[in-house]
Amino acid sequence: MKESNFSIEINGKEYAAEPGQSILEVAKAGDLFIPAICYHPNLGTIQTCDTCYVNAGGELVRSCVTKAQPGMKVETLSQPVQEAQYEGISRILKNHELYCTVCDNNNGNCTIHNTVEHMGLAHQKYPFEAKPYPPDNSHPFYRYEPDQCILCGRCVEACQDLQVNETLTIDWSRKVPRVIWDNDVPIDESSCVSCGHCVNVCPCNALMEKSMLGEAGYLTGIPPKILAPMIDMTKEVEPGYREIFAISEVEAAMRKSRIKRTKTVCTYCGVGCSFEVWTKDRDILRIQPLEEAPVNGISTCVKGKWGWDFVNSEERLTKPLIRKGDEFVEATWDEALDLIAEKLGGIKEKYGPDALGFIASSKCSNEENYVFQKLARGIVGTNNVDNCSRYCQSPATAALLRTVGHGGDAGTIHDIQAAELIIVIGANAAESHPVLATRIKRAHKLHGQKLIVVDLRENELAQRADLIVHPKPSTDLIWINAVTKYILDMGWEDKDFLDERVNNYEEFVKSLEKFTLEYAEEKTGVTKEQMITVATSIHEAKSTCILWAMGITQHSGATDASTAISNLLLITGNYGRTGTGAYPLRGHNNVQGACDFGTMPAWFPGYEPIQSPKVRERYEKAWGTAIPSEPGYDNHQMVEGMHKGEIKAMYLFGEEMALVDANSNYVQAAFEKLEFYVVQDIFFSKTAQFADVVLPAAPSLEKDGTFTNTERRIQRFYKVLEPLGDSKPDWEIIQEVANRLGANWNYKHPSEIMDEAASLAPIFAGVSYDRLEGFQSLVWPVAADGKDTPLLYTDKFAFPDGKARLVAVDWTPPVEVDAEYDLHLNNGRILEHFHEGNMTYRNEGLTHKVPDTWLEVSLELAKERNLQDGTLVGLTSPYGHVEVRVIVTDRVKGNEVYLPMNTRDDSKAVNYLTSSYHDYITHTPAYKEMGVKMEVIEAEGESPLPDHNHRFGNRVPQISVKVEEKWNRADFTPIDELIQLRGDEYGQSNQAN
Amino acid sequence: MARAIRQISKQTPNVEEEQAQAAADLMRQLTENKDAVIAGIQVMKGLNDMGIFDALRGMLDNRTEVGAIAMQQLNQPATHNVIKAGMFGIQFLSTLQLGQLETVMNGVGLGMKRLSKTGQDGEKQSIWKMRRRLRSPEIRAAMTAMVDFMEGMGEAFLHNKKHDE
Repeated sequence: MKESNFSIEINGKEYAAEPGQSILEVAKAGDLFIPAICYHPNLGTIQTCDTCYVNAGGELVRSCVTKAQPGMKVETLSQPVQEAQYEGISRILKNHELYCTVCDNNNGNCTIHNTVEHMGLAHQKYPFEAKPYPPDNSHPFYRYEPDQCILCGRCVEACQDLQVNETLTIDWSRKVPRVIWDNDVPIDESSCVSCGHCVNVCPCNALMEKSMLGEAGYLTGIPPKILAPMIDMTKEVEPGYREIFAISEVEAAMRKSRIKRTKTVCTYCGVGCSFEVWTKDRDILRIQPLEEAPVNGISTCVKGKWGWDFVNSEERLTKPLIRKGDEFVEATWDEALDLIAEKLGGIKEKYGPDALGFIASSKCSNEENYVFQKLARGIVGTNNVDNCSRYCQSPATAALLRTVGHGGDAGTIHDIQAAELIIVIGANAAESHPVLATRIKRAHKLHGQKLIVVDLRENELAQRADLIVHPKPSTDLIWINAVTKYILDMGWEDKDFLDERVNNYEEFVKSLEKFTLEYAEEKTGVTKEQMITVATSIHEAKSTCILWAMGITQHSGATDASTAISNLLLITGNYGRTGTGAYPLRGHNNVQGACDFGTMPAWFPGYEPIQSPKVRERYEKAWGTAIPSEPGYDNHQMVEGMHKGEIKAMYLFGEEMALVDANSNYVQAAFEKLEFYVVQDIFFSKTAQFADVVLPAAPSLEKDGTFTNTERRIQRFYKVLEPLGDSKPDWEIIQEVANRLGANWNYKHPSEIMDEAASLAPIFAGVSYDRLEGFQSLVWPVAADGKDTPLLYTDKFAFPDGKARLVAVDWTPPVEVDAEYDLHLNNGRILEHFHEGNMTYRNEGLTHKVPDTWLEVSLELAKERNLQDGTLVGLTSPYGHVEVRVIVTDRVKGNEVYLPMNTRDDSKAVNYLTSSYHDYITHTPAYKEMGVKMEVIEAEGESPLPDHNHRFGNRVPQISVKVEEKWNRADFTPIDELIQLRGDEYGQSNQAN
Repeated sequence: MARAIRQISKQTPNVEEEQAQAAADLMRQLTENKDAVIAGIQVMKGLNDMGIFDALRGMLDNRTEVGAIAMQQLNQPATHNVIKAGMFGIQFLSTLQLGQLETVMNGVGLGMKRLSKTGQDGEKQSIWKMRRRLRSPEIRAAMTAMVDFMEGMGEAFLHNKKHDE
């Protein structure tokens, strides 16, 4: 027990308590039942349900809000307390009809059912009263049934203060209160971002996934005409709830044999949410997050909660395809594998192993990436292997490797939550990393966290920020260095930290000489005052995290700009403590893991250099093969190699490179030059159109494995469904290709691959599937004994002398195009779709919300060029042309336009406009450095964004559910006024008679 | 040189082959279960002749309507009483304690044995003799039990009366 811990007495027994814990939390921790319906561990106290009354120190109090105090005496068994709790639950049941056996929420986890049952309630004190509102079925994914709503406010709390989208409220002023969306509009027309928080926390069936309705239970598909009299009859004949619950429990137990619950890890961004997938045969009934999920708890976003039915799409690849003339012909696995072996083997024989290129997938598992680099290095004999982190986060990885030693986030989401100051640079976390953004929004709204957002667009986090900074495009390094210099000039640096833990101080300080505030203001457009505010905020905050993404890393000087961020954190001592550190936000579910497990041209798994003879020897010994000693080609170099005729064959899996790599025309022309091309995917992608053999792979729901999220957290996902048709998990396919090329691998399960990787890469030494069972996770580095490292650098940095390194960096001017390309082209993601949309556009609900991509133009530009929502414009850059419809918005300013990347349509895909210019260190394309010219093709047209998109909603911010308004209603009588304690309650025991 | 192509030639399953395969599977099942199938057909013929299938088909085609009517019929006080009576019966049984029940049932069993013997013999006893027998411990034990039983029943009656008031 910690020194500050104490104990309290409940019903004569001692319970351990921690400072700040409520009586209810103490009881829960000690496995003592106190009814509580509105309380949820991820939401905290709401105080609406009034079921948790206890007698504390002679007063009838709500146990959810009353803090445990040393020496406190609590009792829950006396008659007045029981009466108070009974009154609370009775008021709830007035609002909720118990027809559990025919309810789709009767799955053993219904809070109301379980509470009523646990309380042993036999009869209802107040008869159920229906509310005068019809159900709201307008939203594509979920419904609200007011008649079943108990007005506990969990959904409101989740929406207002956890997700912080601020859409839901309870209108307590009506005769019959209800939950409303925005200013009482149908759900589908509101600002609801469809994150699912409200549905996830609803304690009953008032808010439910439409996919559950009529599907979950054995009797729930009964038509309403029959169901209503059935419920009436049940109520008429029921002797008491206990007997009815016995039947509903049997029914709930029977459901276990038809509804399978499997833990998985989300694949829609790098945050790493985990949850259960509920399936009935191949139908996905529900995504159910649980409190024990280490990153997200009960949080989800629109894609994670609803975006999975692509697995059953009729367009899934289910058989291998072989190019024959001008068409693909379905083939057997043997035919496809034989052809691959013959061609890849032949090309290797003829031109040498370096004529082959391997592109891995940041969407696929650690184990799949591991075996893929093993195939390239160990079986084919080339280091030409890379993954799509080259398109996004390689500069951040490189910057962190050279300043602090590990190429990953310094801490976890819990540090981001705990920081006093968050600076977000070039990242739209609310759309690209939604659940991570919720933690910032919550800390900012409720706990006084300061937020500074630096971005070209006024994205959601910017709208909520204490300071918004809008620099000229591609100039971030300058203002960051200027802020660093200002901090040094003011003497605000952390001198002890620098003395004890950091190298290269003198040299670095000298390199900052030119970065005066005046110089920075002139170059970046950021005012001196803004820079001073940033510097002062960092100085005044006890802990600062800096988060960044593609707004920093997709530039010519991306590694240097990332380095400047790390330098700033080092100068101010913001590493190695809770609430501090550098957080490059990984975009895909396994960008981190793909890099960690070695699909990079210069690194073995665990970031050990290919060029190290010692490391190479370790792998050669284990694999029994020779490994080339020089780094291979990265993605960019492979494309150039195809054009030059050096790369003759490619094997790519799980990557839509034809649309996602910059300068798509150039990349696609390169594919055309290949002698042989193998593409492995779950859908027939644009990239697959160039292939000679297309192999049908299985998505994450159809296989086992692990992913590593942006926090460096390794998490296990389990097979939910069997692979569709003849498709197979990628690791199995890679193994079969390897074996055809002469390997003799015999992995039966991904755990064996992980065991091998853990035995070879020191930072994964203690990783094993046993330690990752269920919702357990490990944050690397993981010692052999299984101890992991959620927060890095607490004692030393990852260099031999344990000291971090300040690295002097200078500004690299961005790519320049002719003056005729007068608009700055910005690009990125949107909330509702993932990447090019191969998966999410196959989801009806997501496509209902966002049917297509659009071009965001500013109010000024719209006025100048006569643009309006729906205008069709052509955009032309020196590299290509697209045509897309316009949305006019104040999210972008002046001549800056924003084209989301989320389209499969060739005529709209942004990368037909971007160039092959790149970060000079890591070769990450400078996606964010391009100019375009615009022509109006159709002055008017249908808006590309429907009115029922959340962006047109009207948020209603408030703190929590405003329970005081409930208490102030004329028809509300406080339970502690209704029921009086007599003063002789202590000492009563829990007797049956 | 491999240009982008979209054309996929899918091997659509041959409908005739699939049908032939299905027919062969069916035939195999029929021949392997000849007797059961013939007996089943005879039963079905009888049901069909009686018009049962027609009626069933009508009910299935209109199952929502029929279900609603059936529920309407079921959802009546008489049905409620039957279900309630059933449930109370079960509840009553659940209140009996096994040990006591055993004693009572043993007593009833032994009593029946005596009763059948007496009945068989057609024996009659004088009033005087019967009065004397009332003094025996067995008769007194049984009488005490009966009075206790009536007392319990009376208690429940009074409790219900009070409750109703």
